[in-house]
Amino acid sequence: MRVLAWAYLLAMFGFILLPVVVLIVFSFQDSRLPVPPFDGPTLRWYAEIIADRALMEALMNSLLVALISSAVALVLGFLAASGLARVLLPGSALIRGVLIAPMTVSYLIIALGLLQMFNAVGLRPSLVATGIGHVVINLPLCFAIIYASMGEHQKNAMRAARDLGAAEWQVLWHVSAPMLLPSLAAAFFLAFTFSWDEFIIAFLLTRFDVTLPVEIWSMLRSGLSPATNAVGSIVFLVSVAIVLVLELTLFRRRGA
Amino acid sequence: MTADVSLQGIEHRFAGFTALHRVDLKIAAGEFVVLLGPSGCGKTTLLSIIGGFLTPSEGQVLIGARDMTQVPPKDRPTTTMFQDYALFPHMSLRDNVGFGLRMRGAGRAVRNDKADAMLEMVGLAAQAGRRPHELSGGQRQRVALARALAVEPDVLLLDEPLGALDLKLRRQMQDELKAIQRRVGTAFVHVTHDQEEAMAIADRIVVMNQGRVEQAGSPEDVYLRPATLFSAGFMGEMNRIPATPDGDGVTTPLGHLPLPPQRGTLCLRPENVGLRGDLRLGPARMIEASFFGAHHRCHFAPLAAPDMILTANLPQGAVPERGAEVQLFATDPVILSETAQ
Amino acid sequence: MSIEARERRQGAALVAPALIWVLIFFIIPFAGMALMSLAHLDGREVVQSFDLSNFAKIFTDPSLRKGIWVSLQITALVTAISVLLAWPLAWIIATRVPARWQRLALLIAVLPFWTSYVVRSYSWALVLGENGVIMKTLTGIGLLAEPVQIMATRAATVTGFVHFFTMLLTLTIYSNLIQLSPNYARAAQDLGASRLQVIRLVILPLTLPGIMTGAFLTFVLCIGDYITPQILGGNNELTLPQLIMLQLGRRGDYPMASALSLVLMAIVTLAYAATSRWLRMDRL
Repeated sequence: MRVLAWAYLLAMFGFILLPVVVLIVFSFQDSRLPVPPFDGPTLRWYAEIIADRALMEALMNSLLVALISSAVALVLGFLAASGLARVLLPGSALIRGVLIAPMTVSYLIIALGLLQMFNAVGLRPSLVATGIGHVVINLPLCFAIIYASMGEHQKNAMRAARDLGAAEWQVLWHVSAPMLLPSLAAAFFLAFTFSWDEFIIAFLLTRFDVTLPVEIWSMLRSGLSPATNAVGSIVFLVSVAIVLVLELTLFRRRGA
Repeated sequence: MTADVSLQGIEHRFAGFTALHRVDLKIAAGEFVVLLGPSGCGKTTLLSIIGGFLTPSEGQVLIGARDMTQVPPKDRPTTTMFQDYALFPHMSLRDNVGFGLRMRGAGRAVRNDKADAMLEMVGLAAQAGRRPHELSGGQRQRVALARALAVEPDVLLLDEPLGALDLKLRRQMQDELKAIQRRVGTAFVHVTHDQEEAMAIADRIVVMNQGRVEQAGSPEDVYLRPATLFSAGFMGEMNRIPATPDGDGVTTPLGHLPLPPQRGTLCLRPENVGLRGDLRLGPARMIEASFFGAHHRCHFAPLAAPDMILTANLPQGAVPERGAEVQLFATDPVILSETAQ
Repeated sequence: MSIEARERRQGAALVAPALIWVLIFFIIPFAGMALMSLAHLDGREVVQSFDLSNFAKIFTDPSLRKGIWVSLQITALVTAISVLLAWPLAWIIATRVPARWQRLALLIAVLPFWTSYVVRSYSWALVLGENGVIMKTLTGIGLLAEPVQIMATRAATVTGFVHFFTMLLTLTIYSNLIQLSPNYARAAQDLGASRLQVIRLVILPLTLPGIMTGAFLTFVLCIGDYITPQILGGNNELTLPQLIMLQLGRRGDYPMASALSLVLMAIVTLAYAATSRWLRMDRL
């Protein structure tokens, strides 16, 4: 039983890690195809992608879109959660439902709806259009995370701050936000990841300036190449580094 | 069905920490024993060892004279009532109570009959088809009891089952537990940190501290004749007065007292200090009094030692004026040495 | 103005920006899409009409009908396999791995989450391809005389999906498992249950919320995904999202794309209705 359990664990880890390992190993492939046999290590594909202007621009675009759209989603979500936690508005349940609704719809459908609306009002596909789409998918996420972490404790503290003469913005800035910092950070981080990795909305809503996933997609069209492996490996290693830093700083404190 | 339990030289170590130091304990068949002590004293560890959830590092567990030390819980004649009840939320009360019989291969009709009878005993027959989440805390507690008793164990282990209930309900459940134990005749081993609960239900109290048994005895014994300072302090409030042997008596800050010469601490319960008694403590000044319903709780400063405060519970209506000087007396004095730990 | 009215007004002011955003960029586009699904294509021009001909076509046109069927089959298969693979993994991590190593084990179990979604599918293309690691190994050690075609088949799509969703389900089931009091298993054992009985009669039913939450997410994300079937499955059999993209790209047929999207949404809504009593999204 015990041996079987460990064997299963290892087999599953093998299955889960296999594509990542293959991706990284063949990013160092010293020939034109990222498949066996392995022809010895080289860094030339990394050099190539770093010299690739289109790719680097796409990377910057992705960072920009992810940062701004997550920040907007976070602020909107935070304000809405504070408002709903503050008073029982008529139709609170309905408002919560509407705010959460985009979470239950496929990204493809959100993208298609926005594409048609932007076409109708004559807005061209752009990074701004993509950012708007990313706020739509991340706002429900931020709202849900922050709203869920607003317990009685927070509500009472907000009430106390108001009682002591704080204006509404002071309550939010000096009391709510610091108290909710872990969930705010978690929400921002999740939203950032989702935006950073989002393909279909960016694919349909950009044309000339594209984001990284769209750029990688167009690299795939020219077939398998170790250069794609190199891009994938860099994205992976940077993400893992960020996760580890967060794990060791922000979330350790909360967990302990 | 019931059996006696004998724990012999039980020692248990967790990583770098000894939870139990060579504990010896006998529990008679049909006895209601309470393991009492502060959190971390080892009482729950001891219960887990009897139930088979832990194997002791050393020592033996005998139940009905059979060695059970290495036997898993499912093959022991014990069942446990857990602190959080651990009722299966996806099963009706009837299925919860019938679970043990189902595991023993009983048919549906047999186990439903038994489950209904057990639920009847705890007064929940009408709710047999409900799910645990539809019940109040006290009702869940009864279902957990019925489930544990349905398989007719020789010994029932109860891990702080009343801890989550409010005071009033706890008192009521204590009475019920005791009545049910008398009825079924099974040995109960009950863990708690509440000394009032222990006195209310136990045939015998086992006071534990830091992995050792401090004292085992009837509630009266443990309360009135504590064997150690810990036991005395844990069972209730107490005035502590240092004493040193002097001739045929002892010397205390209150003066010479005619008690068996011994070095230690003279322990007096507040209700044993008053205006009458066989041991004269000398003159004292009344400082403060508050009314508690059943008694007045008063603070006295002895004239011989004005910095010392003695607490006394005086009967209704028998309270001197604040600032008045009175003669204090005591009954049931006990002198305990520090080393008796 | 009463204090309560002022409070309500301030609360409403805080909620308003988010609500307006969702209204403009989600509700209105969605309404536009619903309207569009009732229109039709005349040459390359969209002409607004109000009939259900697009929907009628979806259920009569063999290639469109097949797309829905293919999507449902793949999604059902992926969800089932992923649950079967993930449950034991989550259980082993939660109960067999020592507590101090559990976080690490979980981190490893979801490590590929942190590569980009497009790249993950591409990596499977490398692994499963005719010259990929698996075929090279199998032919190399003589188990296979020739490479078997996996890429551009349903098997490749399912493999890629199962990989991703096994990770997701492991998370939801694990977080369900560690919230269970250890006393459930103890109580069952204490009453005489064997190890398998403890799992089958107590632990498994108690993880139903985790399973259902993960299965629902799997279903929704899987049936709406374009990337994995496009990269791994190719164009031999098209899924619903591939068909939607096809309408857009080749012919600019927005009305049909909208109608197909609404069908996709209807399927997701049905899945939600079927599983809602077990879902606990807030517990993730």
